[in-house]
Parts: sequence; C-alpha cells; structure tokens
Amino acid sequence: MPSLKFTYKRLFIISAFILSIIGVIFIYSAGTYWSAIHYEGEIPFYIKQSIYLILALIVFNIVSNMPIFHNEKTWISLYIFSLVLLVLVLIPGIGLERNGSQSWIGIGPLTVQPAELVKITTLMYLSFLLSKVPNGERVVRLQHFLIILIPSALIMLQPDFGSVFILIVSSFILLFIARYPIKLYVAFILLGVAGLIGLIATAPYRLKRIEAFIDPWQDPLGSGFQAVQSLLAIGPAGLLGHGFQQSRQKFLYLPEPQNDFIFSIILEEIGFLGGCLIIGLFCLFIYSGIGLALQATRSFDFFAISSLVAMIGFQAALNIGVVIGLIPVTGVTLPFISYGGTSLMIIWFIVGVIVSISNRTV
Amino acid sequence: MKWISTVSKKRLRIVMYGFILFVIAAIVRLFIVQIIQHDKLTELAKENWDREIPFASERGEIVDRNGEVIVTNKLAPTLYFMPAQNDNIEQAAKQIASVLKVDEKKLYEKMNSKSYLVKLAPEAKNITYEQAVELQGLKIDGLYTGVDYVRHYPYGNLLSRFIGFTGYDTQGLAGIEYQYDKYLTSKDAAIRLFTDAKGNTLPHVDDEWREGHQGATVQLTIDLEVQQVVERELSQAMKKYNAEQALAIAMNPNTGEILALASYPTYDPSNFEKVKPEIYNRNLPVWMTFEPGSTFKIITLAAAIEEGKVDIEKENFYDKGYTIVEDSRLRCWKREGHGQQTFLQVVENSCNPGFIELGQRVGPDKLLQYIKNFGFGEPTGSNIAGEASGILFSKEAFGPVEHATTSFGQGIAVTPIQQVQAVSAAINGGKLYKPYVVSKIVDSETGKIILENQPELKRTVISEQTSEKVRYALESVVANGSGRNAYRDGLRIGGKTGTAQKVENGRYKVGDYIVSFIGFAPSNNPQVVVYVAIDSPKSSVVFGSTIAAPIVGQIIEDIAPIIGLEVNREGQLEKQYRWGDPMTERVPNLVGMKVDEIMKLQYPFHIEMHGTGKVVKSQLPEPDNIIEVDGTIHLYLGD
Repeated sequence: MPSLKFTYKRLFIISAFILSIIGVIFIYSAGTYWSAIHYEGEIPFYIKQSIYLILALIVFNIVSNMPIFHNEKTWISLYIFSLVLLVLVLIPGIGLERNGSQSWIGIGPLTVQPAELVKITTLMYLSFLLSKVPNGERVVRLQHFLIILIPSALIMLQPDFGSVFILIVSSFILLFIARYPIKLYVAFILLGVAGLIGLIATAPYRLKRIEAFIDPWQDPLGSGFQAVQSLLAIGPAGLLGHGFQQSRQKFLYLPEPQNDFIFSIILEEIGFLGGCLIIGLFCLFIYSGIGLALQATRSFDFFAISSLVAMIGFQAALNIGVVIGLIPVTGVTLPFISYGGTSLMIIWFIVGVIVSISNRTV
Repeated sequence: MKWISTVSKKRLRIVMYGFILFVIAAIVRLFIVQIIQHDKLTELAKENWDREIPFASERGEIVDRNGEVIVTNKLAPTLYFMPAQNDNIEQAAKQIASVLKVDEKKLYEKMNSKSYLVKLAPEAKNITYEQAVELQGLKIDGLYTGVDYVRHYPYGNLLSRFIGFTGYDTQGLAGIEYQYDKYLTSKDAAIRLFTDAKGNTLPHVDDEWREGHQGATVQLTIDLEVQQVVERELSQAMKKYNAEQALAIAMNPNTGEILALASYPTYDPSNFEKVKPEIYNRNLPVWMTFEPGSTFKIITLAAAIEEGKVDIEKENFYDKGYTIVEDSRLRCWKREGHGQQTFLQVVENSCNPGFIELGQRVGPDKLLQYIKNFGFGEPTGSNIAGEASGILFSKEAFGPVEHATTSFGQGIAVTPIQQVQAVSAAINGGKLYKPYVVSKIVDSETGKIILENQPELKRTVISEQTSEKVRYALESVVANGSGRNAYRDGLRIGGKTGTAQKVENGRYKVGDYIVSFIGFAPSNNPQVVVYVAIDSPKSSVVFGSTIAAPIVGQIIEDIAPIIGLEVNREGQLEKQYRWGDPMTERVPNLVGMKVDEIMKLQYPFHIEMHGTGKVVKSQLPEPDNIIEVDGTIHLYLGD
C-alpha cells in the first residue's frame, strides 16, 4: 500500500498535468482565431504551448530529481541571481518592453520574465531564514521585510503591479504560517490597505479599474470593457456552455482570449459545470500540495512547499476572481492554463522543486 | 528549528480555510452569472455581437379624401461607419467631409470613436442621393450607406399649420404628424450581421433580417383642390389687406367632414425652425378664440324661431339706432338706426337692437341653453391638436346686459370651428355633427383599416322647419342684405357677416377688427359651409361684408365644380339692386334667331357677330347668365 505522501505526490503531479493539458486544448480553441488575425503566418499558439509543455515537463523531470534544490544555500545564490536579473531588465537594450512594462529579458527567440523567477527565490530564501529561527524565539526580523521589499521595489520600476502583488501576498502568507504575531498581521493588513490606496492614488488608471469593477456597465467600451466582455462570455453559457470550440467572445471581443481571460472562454464553452470542474482540479492540486507540506519533516520543507502552493493558489484565485468579476482587473495569468512559455516553465519548475523537496528522505 | 511547530500547521489550515472561502464565493458568483443572470446577459451579448445596418422604413403618408398625397417621403441616405474596418480614418474623414461639405474635425472625432458601428449623424444624416453615389465611388473601407428618408411635401406650404412637421428622427412634432405619430411611425428594418469584433462574418452564426414595417397611411377628410382654392383666396386677402392673420374652414354640414382648414401666414414644414413657434403651434381655426360678432346672430335667430317667438316675415321691429338695457345704451352699428323693418330685414341688416329684442323674447336661460346646445363653451371634439373651448358667460354672470350683447355676438369668445359646427346644425335641419378631419387610417402594407371615423351626430338642436326658415333668412342676407358681396348667380349662397373689435388686455382695441363671413350653398340643400376670418385687415372700410363676404363667395364659386354643386336658379332669391352695384341683366336666349331679327331688338348690350350666316348657332355668355349692362354678347353665326 502506497504511503500517504506518495498518494499526495501522485495527485499533485496528475492534477498539474491535467490542468496543463486543458490549457493546451483551450489555447487551441480560444487562441486560434486571435493568432490567425494578429500573428498571421506564425505558428499557432497551441502548437507553441505544446512545445513549451514538453520543455516544461523536461524541466520538471530534471528539477524534481536534483537534490541541489533541497539545499538551502542554493537559494541564497539564486535569490541574488534573480535580483541581478531584475536590475538588468531595467537597462534599456537588455530589457524588452511589452504592453507598457519593461519586464522581459530576451536572448534570441527565448524571452524570460525575471519577476516570475524572483517570486520563487524570495519565498525560498525567506523559508530558509525562517526555518533557522529557533523554536520559542521571536520570529519578526527586519531582514525578512528587506528581502521582500527589494525585489518588490525593483519590479515596481518595470512596472508590473500583478507580480508585486502576488509576491507580497504570498510572502506574507509565508510569514503568517511562520508564526508571525497575529497583532502584527492586523497592522500588515491595515498597511496593505493603505499601500493599495497609495498605489491607486499614484496611477489614475488603477482608480479607473476600481470604478470599472464596481460598475463595469457604466463604461462598457472603455474602462469596463474587459469585465463586461468577460461577463458577456460567461453569462450566456449557462449550465453546460455552448460546447467546445463554440465560443463567440473569442472572436476578438475579448482581447488576448488565450491569455488572462482564457477562463472566460473555458466557462463560455463548457459552462458552469465545466468551470466547477476546473476549479475542482485547482482545489485538488492545492489540497495535495498542502498534504505534501504537512508530510514534510523539516521546517524549511514545510515553509517552502506551503508558500509555493499558496502562491500558485493565490495567483489562480486572483485570475479566476477577475474573470468572474469578483476582483478588479489586475492582469494576472491563470497558472498552467494561460498561454505563455515562461509562466508554464516556471510553474512546472515550482512543481519540480516541491516534488524534489518532498522526495528528500529525512 | 528542525521540527515543524503545531502553530505553523494551524496557520496553514487557516490559510486553507481562506482559500476554501474563496472557492465557495467563486462558485456562488459563477452560479449567479451563469444561471441567474443568464437570460439578461444573453440579451446583452446578442446586442454585443450583432451589427445592425438599418434600412429605414417609410413613415406613413398623409393623403386627402381622394387619396392624393399631401405628405410623403424622399430617399435621403444616412452613413454608418465601422472604425475597426478602416486603417486610415483620418483620410476617410477628409474624403467624406469634402463631399458633404461638413466639419472634418468633428467627423473624424466621431469616426475615430471606440464603437463598433457609428452613425455619422448629424453630419452625414439624410444626405442626398447624389452625395451617396459619389461616396460609394470612393470605396471607403468600413463606410456603409443606410437607407433613410426625409419627409417630402409636394405642395410645399399648403396645409402646413394643420399637418405640422417632423423632427430630427422623423418623429411627429406638431399637427397631424404629432397627433397621429403612433400610426405614422414606421419600424426600421435592419440586417443583423453576426460578426467578430472587427466586423468579419462569424463562421457558425447566420445573419438575420430584422423585419421592419412602414407607417400607416392617414387619410384626411380634406379635399386638396378645395384646400388650394381656400389658401389661394386667403393668401390674396393677406396681401390685399396687409392682414395680420387669416383663417378659413370648409365643412360638409351634413357629415362634419372638414374639407379645408387653413391658417395664414403659413410656413415651410421642412424649414419649420425658421418661423416662430406661434406660427407652427397654432392651428387658428381651432385655436383662435375671439368675439364672433354678427355671425353669432344666427344662433339667436334659430333659437327665437324654434321657440316660436317670432314670425320673421310678418312681424315688424322699429330700430331707432339703439336700445337701452339697464341704463346701458346698446347701439346699432348703423348710427341713425334702420327704422321700421320686418324681422327678416333685421337679419338682412344685421340690426343689433332687433337681435337684442329676439334674445329677450327667447329669455336668458333658454338662450344660454341654446348656445350650449349648439356646441359653444366646449371643444367640438374634432380631435385637432390645440383645440380651445371658448368663453361663455356663466349663468350667474349672465345679467340683462350680457344677455343683450350675447344676442348679437359680443362679450363672448368662440372658436371658428365652433361657429362652423353650430351654423352647420342651424342650416342642415338642426343636426349638430361633430367636425372631424381624419377619415381613416390604413395599414399601408396590408391595406387593413386600422381606424375609421364616421359622421357623428351629437344631438338635434332645432327642427327642420326652423332650419328651413334660417336658411331662407340667410339666403336673403346674401341677396338683399349685408352679405351681398358673396352673391353668386345660380349657387344660392346664404350666410352672415361678422365684424368684431379685437380685445386686448380686456379692452376693445380701436380700429382693429376681425372680419368674418360664414356662408353655405346651396341654400335649399346645403352641401358646404365656408367660414373665413381676416384678422386686422388694413382698409378704409373694414367690415365682414366688404372683405370676408366676397372671399367666401369666390371660394364657393370655385369649389362648386369640385364638390359637385350644380348651378340651379330654381327658387333663388334675385339680388336686389342697390346704388353703386353694377347694372345687370339676364342674358337673353338668341340661339336660333335671325340676324336681322336681333338687330331690331333694343338690347342694352353690345352684340358682336362672328362668322358668316344668317342664323345664330351659339352664343357666349349662355342664356340666363347675368351680364352687366353695356356688356358684350358674342354670337356665332351659321346657315
């Protein structure tokens, strides 16, 4: 009889794999028309995504079998490396600008987002430091905040609000799990609210997004456009959806339907029940991830696995929340499913790290 | 710390509960959006997907009683633009602006909007057909020409104050256009294109044709030919007398059908904004309320005869030029009085003291009752927009003086259409018919009648015998009395003049009159009632008899062949000669006579012979017509 840990690991990998396959399938459905119009003559998204998935699985295979990623010290160097990349990306000529933010580093056809990497290294480095705090001693250290704030500040220079948001929230979940005092958390939340207000106040487009969130119909062709178009995709789908390939909103009504709003198209094609199924798969992935964390025997492993799982869970929740109109539009992709090479490889890298850590025999 | 603290595990569980909470919220939200709001969002999504290119349907036509078109539509396309389909909107705006001669910047702003389909209005709304063709030749991407119409008035200003006009979106704003907007309004057809956001056709959705329908045809009781005669006469009078306003009504007294309804000055309904609202908002025959003057005496006369209070041919009345009522001296219009006269002559002379006598004989309560029975004091129910009800004395305020002045048409205010309604009843055998202007409304596509008006008898107000006497008296007014200028040989016109001082701020304005005449023909069997009023004519002699009567005479003469009045002298009262009238004789029948015979007769005419021969074959004018002494008779000879 397989151990509980083995069952969790298997559920973890299988749910991640199924989600990735669903991603490719719906990138085929959602993105084909868009790519035919906007990237005429280029390789369609779903073929690229299939290739990325194969590469991602190779990455996963290597990482999950490399003990180097159990080593806490590896993460210190990787953290510094990712910070260097974050600085490099800001230098014109090295960093590439897309959609108004300079967040890509490109070498030939390969482009990567350092922010994606730094999210992982920050959480891992923090986990390492937190695991070093002796039981019973005060956990709160200024150092922790510096580790979070330095990459956050660098990402804000690009700017990439979505990544900073995910980084900060998942880091704070980690600190919370690592027994940071509850009182401090009340202060954090107040600080966070103040910070959000500050962010909104400094960039008027964010206020517009909030307004559009509260009532997207007041400006359905302007600031409320994406929210409205998303609702117009989801609403008519009903219980079972229009059927695979039968989306209408993918015909250029929803911008980049293979990306941030792919879940709209999924909901449109397979309806309420299909949507629940996808959400269920994410729950399964997170449930088995938490299971793996609880099976860990060292605090580093526990902190690392739970913070990485929390990060993926938070990002998924953020994306789904935006699509169904629970959260203002933030520009975050749906893990495993949205089109994109870097994010798919990074996510499978994370899955690999988690599996690798839980593979450790004491 | 090597071992994981239980606090940390507990904290992880708290995080997990947070996540579960979110999942529940997400599923509830999904349920709301996809199941509960499903229908509403489906409707919105359909709007989002379809691109409608409108095909305007025609607004209903307005036609006269014979189906002649009064108001119709003219093709005037409107342009639509799909910004996503054009790469160089600036250039497109420039091209369109130069063809249409409109502001390029404004057009560009409109064309560069974030909408899928922009209606280029008002810049490119209702352009001409030639402009549309020119623009199509330019082959501008994303530019579509939508079928659209504007109102077209083949008769220009004719009937404008009655018909009204339409606004920017061809919605009725005044007159018939406004009142019957519900029927006249059309529903635009459209092609619904299910496309992607850029306007390309979607692969698995069929386009739809959304059916529209034309507006219904409103058929009026108006006779265009009669209307043209009436308006011609009014416009001449406006010029001749430099009048402020003029109005006229022609009605069939036996049904209440209005044959003509005119107000002057008129305006061009396609440029209504160029005139003051008082012009296009006031349909004078139903709106204007003024003291009727002597035309109102018909009601007093009818009441007195019906009540058996007077035998107009046998009873005499002496007019000394005034009557004292409760210390008030009420004067006759003729200062020295008419002296001894029969009551028929009282009517012919429009003698005020005579009518005061008649009113007193009827009694105040009875007279007021007759006035109300004849339809005064309330709108006629003609269903013409803006109809007023007029002002009568209340029973309490109806003292002897008010009673006396009302008897000859002063101190009260009525509308022209009330007068026409009342006089029609007085001369048609006593039947008060409701005036009406719309005969029917017909679905222009199916031909189905949506609404049809029939003559509506309100009540009988006097007997046939009384009515016959009234007709006789009014015919003699035209033959012998104040209506002589309306006399037309063979048409047996009857009628009554009216001259009323205008009232301003509760006082009579000196030298400012509304002169009127109400006439009908033929007096033995009236087929038409014509009322004309001229407001503030500038003339040395301002009387209904000198200004309005000849107009009514001319109108009846000219419309007689249109409405089928036969020239018939039987029973006609001959016009009495008065000093100043031209001397007239009837034309003798000379056909068949020999030339030398004629030469022997001493006719007071010039005789001109035409052709050769000894016998008269035909003559002009024909026998029995009236000819002025010294006039010429043309004879055409043969063998």
